[in-house]
Formats: sequence, C-alpha cells, structure tokens
Amino acid sequence: MAKVYEGLREFLQTLEEEGQLVRIKDEVMPEPDIGAAGRAAANMKGNAPAILFEKIKGYKGKVVTNVHGSWANHALMMGMQKDATTKEQFFELNRRWDKYPVEPEVVAREDAPCKENVVDENINLFEVLPLYRINDQDGGFFISKASVVSGEPDDPENLDKMNVGTYRIQVKDVDRIGIQALAMHDIAVQLEQAERKNEKLRVAIALGNDPIITFMASTPIAHDQSEYKFAGALRDGVPVKLVKADKAEHLYVPASAEVILEGYIEPRVRECEGPFGEFPGSYSGARNQCVVKIDHITHRTDPIFENLYLGIPWTEIDYLMALNTSVPLYKQIKEGFPELVALNAMYMHGHVAIISTKCRYGGYGKGIAFRLLSTPHGMPYTKVVIVVDEYVDPFNLEQVMWAIASRVKPDKDVAIIPNCPGMPLDPSSNPAGMHTKMIIDATTPVAPEPNPRSVELLEPPVGTEKWEEILRDLMK
Amino acid sequence: MTCPRCNSEDTRVMVKSPVGDEWEVYVCNTCYYSWRSTETPDVHDVFKLKPEDIPNLQVIPPVPPLDK
Repeated sequence: MAKVYEGLREFLQTLEEEGQLVRIKDEVMPEPDIGAAGRAAANMKGNAPAILFEKIKGYKGKVVTNVHGSWANHALMMGMQKDATTKEQFFELNRRWDKYPVEPEVVAREDAPCKENVVDENINLFEVLPLYRINDQDGGFFISKASVVSGEPDDPENLDKMNVGTYRIQVKDVDRIGIQALAMHDIAVQLEQAERKNEKLRVAIALGNDPIITFMASTPIAHDQSEYKFAGALRDGVPVKLVKADKAEHLYVPASAEVILEGYIEPRVRECEGPFGEFPGSYSGARNQCVVKIDHITHRTDPIFENLYLGIPWTEIDYLMALNTSVPLYKQIKEGFPELVALNAMYMHGHVAIISTKCRYGGYGKGIAFRLLSTPHGMPYTKVVIVVDEYVDPFNLEQVMWAIASRVKPDKDVAIIPNCPGMPLDPSSNPAGMHTKMIIDATTPVAPEPNPRSVELLEPPVGTEKWEEILRDLMK
Repeated sequence: MTCPRCNSEDTRVMVKSPVGDEWEVYVCNTCYYSWRSTETPDVHDVFKLKPEDIPNLQVIPPVPPLDK
C-alpha cells in the first residue's frame, strides 16, 4: 500500500525529510518576493523544492508555494520514491485509476482539524491568509490553488455530482471574492441551475489540502464522477476523510484542510475581474465574472496558506495538468487500441501530445492520432500529435526528437487538417475556438506501407540494467 | 486617490496590515483593481480600462434567463 497523507502538513513534513522543502526564515515582502521565489523554483526543474515562507511583512501566517512543483514532489505525493521517472509515475497512476470509486469516510465535526477555529463575524480574509499579487499585471491578489466545492442544485444530495474544482479567485474585499466559472466547467452547469431560479449557489472553498485532493480538483473527469472517490482511488484505495460544511449541510469538505471559506455565489451578478497571468504563459484580460460573498470561515490553528505561481511553462501549475491529463486520454484510446503503450499529453493541458504505440498495419500511426483528436478532451485541446514506436518513451523528449529525426519523411508522414475545433485560451487559435491539427507520424512503416530502407536497431550491451542499478546506488 | 487602471476617483482603503502598521491595501470601487501601499503600480496600456467600457466586457458565464 502506498504512503498517503492526512493533509498538507503531513506532506510538508515528508517533503522536508526528503530534502524537498526549504524554509525562508527571514521576513519577506508579499510583493514581489513570493511570486519571484515561485518562478525561481520553477526554473530549477527536476527536483525543485516547496518553499515555506515563515514571516511575511504585515501578516500573521505562513505561505507555502511550489508544493507540487517538481517530478520529485509529484512522486512523493503518490508515495513513490522521489527519483521515480515520469513514465513510472504515469503507469502507477494508471493502475490506481482503476480502483475508482472509493467511498469517502465522513468524520464527526469534533474530529475534523479544519474546524479548530471559527470566524463568522467581522470576516477579514487578510487576518487568515497572507494574500499577495502573483504576477505584476494581475488585477489584484489571487488565490490560485483552491479546491472549490459546490453541489448540484437540482440534485443536492448526489455526492457524484458534487463538484470539486480549481478556479481562479480574485480578492475584491475583506469578505468578497471574484471567481472564474467558464461555461465548459462543471460549476457553471450548477450555477446556471441556481441562476435560473435566482438562487444563491453555496460554495465551500478548501485551501491547503492533502496533495492528492488538489491534484484531483484539477483533473478533467465526467460531470457525474466524484473527485473525492477518485482521490480515494489515487490514494491506492485509502478513503479520503470528509466533514460536512457548517453553513451548507449538503457540501462535504476535506477534514484536514488548513482553511475552509464558506459563502455563496451572488445570483445573476457579474463584476469586473482580471487580468490574471494564466497557464498558457500569457495574461487573460478583464472580463465580467461571478462574485462570492464569504460568510463563514473555519481554519486550523496557525493555518498555512498554500498557493501556486504560474507563468511561462513550466511552472507549478503544469504539474497539476500533466499526468492527470495524460491518463484519462490513455484510458479512452486503450479501450479500442490495445497496442497503445503510453501517452504524454503534458504540454499546455494536451495541446501537444505524444503517443507511443505498436503499429498493427500500415497507416496505424495516423489512425491512432485521429482517435486522440476525437476524444472529448483531445478534440478541442490537442492540435499537434506526434506518434512514435512502442520502444520510444514518450516522456523522454530526447528519444522523441530522435524518432522524428530518424523516421519522418515529411511529404508522407506530416498531415495538416484545417478547420477543426480549438481551445479559446490558446492565443494561436483564430477565431478563438477554431484551429488546425497536425499529425507527425514518426513510427516505422509496416506492411502494406512499403519500407524500402529497413534498419537494424542497436541493442544495449549485455549487463546494462545491472550497471544502471550500480550507478544509481552510487549516486544515492 | 486615483485608480491606476481606470482613473476613477472612487477608491478606498480595503484593509490595513493585520500586524503592525506596515501597509494598506486600496481598491477601486469601479473596476476592482487593488494594490498595496508598498507597491508602485504600473498598469500596462493594454490593461487600462475606461469606466464606461466595463459594462461591455465579456460576461463569463452568460447569465441565463429566469425560469417562468
């Protein structure tokens, strides 16, 4: 059974023990220090640490950032060795995915650390959270790593339809925030049901969670699939612990969260929000968006505010839409095409994807690319598909480049398909929502496609695996 | 105090630092831009707004009709 964490604090302790968390003990300024350190951590790549700021000018509490921001931290989140390769993490995630659904465990209020302190008068978010501007041109202070819990107004008791999602949040007052609910998001479906009746949509916003819950909050799953039951699956079958929200009896929140903000989306109200530096590495401008009034806060004693930096990829947010984008696509294609070996859709939420497959007959590489481009996520998001042979690791970009360099004959292996769906946030999509697709088939031709210059691949010398082990041990 | 983004004069102090007298945060009541007294806001021209343009910004998500 894999190691699991009952909350953010336990995970931070493991990160520190593994040399994957650093403490900044000197006082820092909210701006620009916290954002700049998040960017700097992202620049370190491979084993970048989480950063815990212990003293922030003018504030009581602590901030932690870059908690998910490296493959080492991602592996530790899953209870794996911190040097587990991306491909190993992909296959482990695939294995656990099949354990869905794992029913959550509901604990009593007195057993839930997130209820240690209650604030329901004179609410002031700045007293609880050390808020700060993430990027220079952001329109205010943003909460970038919240797990927002909301119910289905037409079916409030249905746990499967209870949504846990990550949406950007702009602080507009001490008890008032803006929230982005794009029409394609599950929360927008729920909001529409409420707004048609001119009713408030209650929300509970969980900050500072078990890292798997945050990971699931940013995973694209079906509207009637439960993020909490998936989190139990990804915890290798260990249920998540939940507790009822105080003001909305039908909502459940992670019992160990650092902070729970409870409130409601004001029906039929939209106010100016943004700009905000977004995941494609550019700002999204000001729009009129939803508003949440906060009327109740619970929090652990001395809460830690967990937030993330996002900028030109890769930054922490890219680790939260990497393997959790790849796995659902892999599952959907594998169903009909068992030759599929692995799928890497980690670049800008799957805009570029690499498929590794064995080819059963001529043209198979292109065919499997079309299959990816017809999945619900791949149709709007994926625009460039690279297909490689089964022995090429799609997570090893040097190998992928080798496959393109040595296998591709551009006049027959590159296909351009105009006038297809696109993703509006992709700045190259024009008009927003339309795009061209490109397939690069870097597989070796198989019959009936002719292969006039077949090759004999180099094999690793005998004993290579043994030597890999020896060298790994010597490096520890 | 003038909003650095939309030039509205309708701004206010949103909050003072919870510890010490270190800073204040200001907010514009027209466009909701906010900034801390320790910052020197430099809003790029592309992000400046005119108050009269705000009602015409894209609405996300669209407001549905009321049920009859």
